[in-house]
Amino acid sequence: MSKFAVTFFPENITVEVEEGVSIKQAAALAGIELKSTCGEVGTCGRCAVKVIGGDIKNLGGNLSSRLRNSGHVLACRTFPESDIKVEIPAESRLDEHQVLVSTSREKGILVERELDLLEGYDFDPICRSVYLELPPPTITENASDLTRLTAELRKHLEHKEIRIPLSVLRNLAVTLREADWKVSVTLACFNGSAHIVSIEAGDTTSDQYGLAVDIGTTTVVAYLLNLKTGSVVGKAGTYNKQARFGDDVISRMIYANEPNGLEDLHKAVIGTVNELIDKLVKEHKIKSSNIQTVMSAGNSVMAHLFLGLTPKYIRLDPYIPTAADLPPVTARDLGLAINPEAWVFSFSALASYVGGDIVSGVLCTRMSEADEMTLFIDIGTNGEMVLGNRDFLVTCACSAGPAFEGGGITFGMRAMKGAIERLSIDPETYEVSVETVANGKPVGICGSGLIDCIAKLRDVGLIDRTGQFQPVSSDRLRQNEEGPEFVLVWGKDTGVGKDIVITEADIKNLIRSKGAVYAGIRSLLQMVSMDMEAIDKILIAGGFGNYLNLSDAISIGLLPDLPVEKYEFVGNTSVKGAQLALLSRQAYQDAVEIGRKMTYIELSVGTTFMDEFVSALFLPHTDLSLFPSVPA
Amino acid sequence: MAVEILKEKSRASVPEVTIGATKEQGGTRTHTITVGGDAALPFHHFEGEIKHRPVVALEVNDIVPEWNENLLKYYRDVVDNPGQWAKKCVEEYGADLVYLKLDGAHPDNGNKSPEECVAVVKDVLASVGVPLIVVGCDDEEKDNEVLVAVAEATSGENLLFGNAEQTNYKSLTAACMVHKHNIIARSPLDINICKQLNILISEMNLPLNRIVIDPTIGGLGYGIEYAYSILERARLGALQGDKMLSMPIIATVGYESWRTKEANLSTEENPSWGDAEERGILWETTCATALLQSGVNILLMRHPKSVQLVKKHIDQLMVPNDY
Repeated sequence: MSKFAVTFFPENITVEVEEGVSIKQAAALAGIELKSTCGEVGTCGRCAVKVIGGDIKNLGGNLSSRLRNSGHVLACRTFPESDIKVEIPAESRLDEHQVLVSTSREKGILVERELDLLEGYDFDPICRSVYLELPPPTITENASDLTRLTAELRKHLEHKEIRIPLSVLRNLAVTLREADWKVSVTLACFNGSAHIVSIEAGDTTSDQYGLAVDIGTTTVVAYLLNLKTGSVVGKAGTYNKQARFGDDVISRMIYANEPNGLEDLHKAVIGTVNELIDKLVKEHKIKSSNIQTVMSAGNSVMAHLFLGLTPKYIRLDPYIPTAADLPPVTARDLGLAINPEAWVFSFSALASYVGGDIVSGVLCTRMSEADEMTLFIDIGTNGEMVLGNRDFLVTCACSAGPAFEGGGITFGMRAMKGAIERLSIDPETYEVSVETVANGKPVGICGSGLIDCIAKLRDVGLIDRTGQFQPVSSDRLRQNEEGPEFVLVWGKDTGVGKDIVITEADIKNLIRSKGAVYAGIRSLLQMVSMDMEAIDKILIAGGFGNYLNLSDAISIGLLPDLPVEKYEFVGNTSVKGAQLALLSRQAYQDAVEIGRKMTYIELSVGTTFMDEFVSALFLPHTDLSLFPSVPA
Repeated sequence: MAVEILKEKSRASVPEVTIGATKEQGGTRTHTITVGGDAALPFHHFEGEIKHRPVVALEVNDIVPEWNENLLKYYRDVVDNPGQWAKKCVEEYGADLVYLKLDGAHPDNGNKSPEECVAVVKDVLASVGVPLIVVGCDDEEKDNEVLVAVAEATSGENLLFGNAEQTNYKSLTAACMVHKHNIIARSPLDINICKQLNILISEMNLPLNRIVIDPTIGGLGYGIEYAYSILERARLGALQGDKMLSMPIIATVGYESWRTKEANLSTEENPSWGDAEERGILWETTCATALLQSGVNILLMRHPKSVQLVKKHIDQLMVPNDY
């Protein structure tokens, strides 16, 4: 069945759809909601769009002559027959404030992004598998097994030096003979050498895998990649088990100084990754020993703890990491439950508080090649941001806390089934309706839901600009032991059997998080004496959930009040950059260059950041003139 | 050749806040006091009008305060009678305003009922003709009861009530709205919180010309430089047109000065520091005069002799310097 790319304007979002999918369904995949009241049978005439390029099949339907004459068609009755471009008029949108800049995860947009990922790079994975048919030895062709193997391998490689670990060498003689000299050799190529990591009987080159891992302070996400095709086989994510030793990098570093602290933290993160590996291996029915390489991206502290390096001196003046360019190590050394000879790579860190995850983000968004002035914001526990284009890159980090990843919030959670990701509150009755991920029974609130929640509470006047609840008469607003709370979903309607609430403390927590991010943006701009308006494009990265409701994010003052067109939601770029680096050795090299090119700005020097932070602890901001589009 | 003076014109000015109401205006005061209106930096008469001179409020307490004897001796005869105390402040010591602090309402200081507090305020109103500043006991819950009751009982008097803070501003703001009083918005030495509180209060629809800000100060030797820079930033903001920082400023000079070690250590304890009383007076005076330069409109003070010195100083500062 054919596939077509459908690009929507003005958003310029492209989704790939199969033949027979209507433009309206394609729009939904792109996160654009069109009006429709007829159940998509072409009678209501509300979903009019204009096809501005490509071939279509138009089944007609009820459309006003005004629109028909101007070249519009009904999105629900029109099907692409080639790659097409579609313009969506404002009147056909369900709600322009709910324009979703991008979706992620299991939705259509992701296909497109993965295609984008390698753009400009050759598919040249750092670890690959080669199928060899060796000439069997004879009394005259009597070279050793290893020489025979390496001689054949050299035909496939540019590398002179080929290394083999002892464990593989020990089995070489038997493996070759049992396989009748037909084997698949998997090698990792780096530092000018090829490192054999496994030799298997027969052609198993299609069954070799790599793992791209984003080690976040709060969450860890892994993508399982097929090394032959480069495709993503599976994805998994979970909370970092280090969380029980502290919520942020500072408390982790403090814990690392306790007796056995470093070991506890190292084991916790390795355990977390192993849990993800186990899940992926079971789900996709592969052998864990066929995971032949790992590319990890994380902030400096996470990278140190992943390798078991002490982060002690990162915390102490003058803040020096053990290593910024982290060398490849073997899975055996780390205790990862994959092929023990597999090489594990880490993205280079830039500064003590700006790590490989941000380098990874810059790499996969290509902002270091762009002409436009781009602001890249990775909203995680450690809020990191980069400003610049092909000419320069400056970066800083601010501690945003785990709130947007669901940490430290009474009913916070990752964007999993049942997480509330959107909600609305009736301004008169204060009744709440929620939408959850995968339409599961509500079990908690994910980052995008929390942003939505604050915005809506403020909209209906349930909280003031500092996040304090206002006295209103609603049985949803009540006092608990620690202070007021608001019931979002009554216990009987949830999947957890108790009321899902948001407390005043949760709200203050979120305001601190959003304040830190916004203050970081303002401080960074001040450092380079640049106005908000000078930014051409803003890329938002982070694991909020499926959506980022931009107008809500702006109305609570998390993100600058700039035109929606300037924004793009790019999801978890840390893991995507790791994925790219696994699939392209050139990309991995470029990452090192990007790291060198960035200038790090330390926000703890001077008073700018603190001043900006306190002024951002307000909805949306103490300086209301910064948010002209937010109604008073 | 004549020297040309560089003059900076301000874009905006401080709003005027009037405290008190005469009989014709629905109150019982003999006159009203208006503060603010500054259209230039403090005493830059050549750049814009300094419409009203800064005023001095003397502090009266509803219980006997634990003050240093060098200070308390001036009030010894009236210290257990707030009405008489206020009268002395105005008639003998030249107070422009009376700052009545209802410390006796605090649960640890006698826990006076709202009715008892209302009686004290009425007594003071009856004893003096100047407008009043009424401030609670710093216990949030109790203040919300007491100040609301006092505001109601003095409806029409157009007094100045304090303190509204970021965590507790709603009751007092509502009471000032309904009973037509002015409010002190106090913030903890932070320009952003100062502004946030003004936004919160004005969003409850209390007009900006009914708000006086107390951005909090540190006494001389105890962070006065920091306080100065905050007050100065607020005033610069006001003159540049930031409405939410534009209000007249009150500074609790007496309170901060008389809790310093330097104002309280006796002559015997450290003879090299000189006479204790004189030292205390100068400490308070220096603190007040320094802060006048940052834009303070209402000085809260305690020692009669400091008041004398400061008022003389204000007289001199208010002489227009015609360039």
